[in-house]
Amino acid sequence: MKLSVDRITKQYKNKIAVDRISFDLTEGVTGLLGANGAGKTTLMRMMSGILTPTGGEITADGIPVNTENYRALLGYLPQDFGYYPEFTAREFLEYMGALKGIEKKKAREKSSELLELVGLTDVARKKIKTYSGGMKQRVGIAQALLNDPAILILDEPTGGLDPKERVRFRTLIEELGKKSIVLLSTHIVSDIEHIADRIIMMKDGSLIWQGNRSDVSGDLEDFYLKKYE
Amino acid sequence: MDNNEFKNLIKNAYCAPKPVRKDEFISKLRPGKVSTFRMLLQQIPYIRPYVWIISAVIIGIAIAGSVIGGEGTDRLIGLIMPITAVVGMIENGRSKRYNMSELEMATRFSLRSVILARMAIMGFLAVIVTAIASPVIANSFGMQAVMTAETILMPYLMTMIISLHIERSPLGRENGLSSVVVAGAVMLLFFLIWESETGIVLYSSFISGGCGVAAVIVLGALTLTEQWLTVRNVEAFA
Amino acid sequence: MDVGKIYDKIYRYVYFRVNDRTLAEDITQETFLRYIGKYGNAGSVEIRYMYTIARNLCTDEYRRIKPESLSEEMEEIPGDSGISEEKMAVRQALEKLPYEDREILLLRYVNEEPAGTICKALGISRFALYRRQKKAEDKLRRELEA
Repeated sequence: MKLSVDRITKQYKNKIAVDRISFDLTEGVTGLLGANGAGKTTLMRMMSGILTPTGGEITADGIPVNTENYRALLGYLPQDFGYYPEFTAREFLEYMGALKGIEKKKAREKSSELLELVGLTDVARKKIKTYSGGMKQRVGIAQALLNDPAILILDEPTGGLDPKERVRFRTLIEELGKKSIVLLSTHIVSDIEHIADRIIMMKDGSLIWQGNRSDVSGDLEDFYLKKYE
Repeated sequence: MDNNEFKNLIKNAYCAPKPVRKDEFISKLRPGKVSTFRMLLQQIPYIRPYVWIISAVIIGIAIAGSVIGGEGTDRLIGLIMPITAVVGMIENGRSKRYNMSELEMATRFSLRSVILARMAIMGFLAVIVTAIASPVIANSFGMQAVMTAETILMPYLMTMIISLHIERSPLGRENGLSSVVVAGAVMLLFFLIWESETGIVLYSSFISGGCGVAAVIVLGALTLTEQWLTVRNVEAFA
Repeated sequence: MDVGKIYDKIYRYVYFRVNDRTLAEDITQETFLRYIGKYGNAGSVEIRYMYTIARNLCTDEYRRIKPESLSEEMEEIPGDSGISEEKMAVRQALEKLPYEDREILLLRYVNEEPAGTICKALGISRFALYRRQKKAEDKLRRELEA
């Protein structure tokens, strides 16, 4: 599958948040690097079909981003999200499953599978409000995977995870990257150092560099800092 | 050789090597169309219990009122109905309040559908309450059920229209519970009209003519318009 | 029905017709695409139409293969480790049956399709299905008991 971002722009009254960015993604893990405020979240929102671009086009194998069909292929984890207070993790996943159009029985099976995958089976029947930050984040990751998405967009997904959870997460992402298009944004270089096949760097709404991880010899962090200037 | 053994022999003989491109292919298949109705049904269990309870209570009051022969039950219900409107607004606002909007927006059905479903269910509920309460009350007093329905619906519709409108404005965005204020104002307004001597006379003549029906139709149309505008507004992430 | 399960069924059906893993997957996927093209969505795939489409695709495929190789209906499965003697015996017995009989046994016992589906897929009456199935089963039993 090819996810095509073509001269995508988002302009607000007094600011250009994303300035004519273009790139193509295929299966594998792509890291989106940039400081806070660089426009990563805005870009990802547009790629998830929830924010209308001011200009440009985003398509997946020709399917436009603002369609139900596109969203059906998508798994999205926002940087910041909440939960309905009465929900347990299991109920939360089943609710999201319903919104993703997954049939009830299948949603239930998939939820169990995913809870196992992110290590929350033991607490699945407890309310999410009793969870730690890392556990909440893991629920978020699980919901993004409910529909076996061909496109996975994760906005700062490692926030709140402890080191052990981080390692687990990286392994999971590597695995997912084998069959899906994974785009994950971060301002922490070490998160994607070892798992990203491609890197895209943003600064102040613009794309300052994109290429394969293998094109970057040596330390990714140094390379990034240099490019940043 | 018995039947089962026979069946199993055949089954085992026919095991083919595993397909390798299955998952990839399936994940790319266009999803089937799930009807709007089915999606609506799916949302029903997520409407919280107190909504059903309040509706039942209102119907209960209507029945009790007509059984004990209390005059003015229709106006009582009419005054209580704005509470249903507030409840509807609160349920609508859950996604925003609990920061679930972004997650819901990125799904296949999207936040729009969630809001639409909630509104449809709440609206349907209001209609049911009115449909049950009106004939129950009217039968006991010889008033036409229609006029009763008008009395019950008008405060509700007015509350809905104003609340929805304010919600979309900058004022409403700051204050999530503006609908409570609106409901209070509407309830007060109707209370004053119905309690004053001239007020009640004017009101009665208003609804005995065709004016009442026309008024409800206009208010109903405005409510639907406001709901449509609200749903449309949800589309783009602000 | 689960799309995954349908994929497996069609794949198995096609595989035992064309005996080539890659080709079988290609035809399976092509079957899905044609079905969706014709009937519009992947949400409620009706498997009997799928069988018909798959059959036709297999026939088209055969037309492209040279006539001589048609006699090799059931070759050995390469690379599948540990084919037990028993399996081989059953396979050889099955090989002695005509293709139509094997098809019915596959659909009935392996894909576990109900009679209605098989009849629609093969375009035969229930009576004909019953008759052929019984005949095939008897033949197979005799072969195996020999």
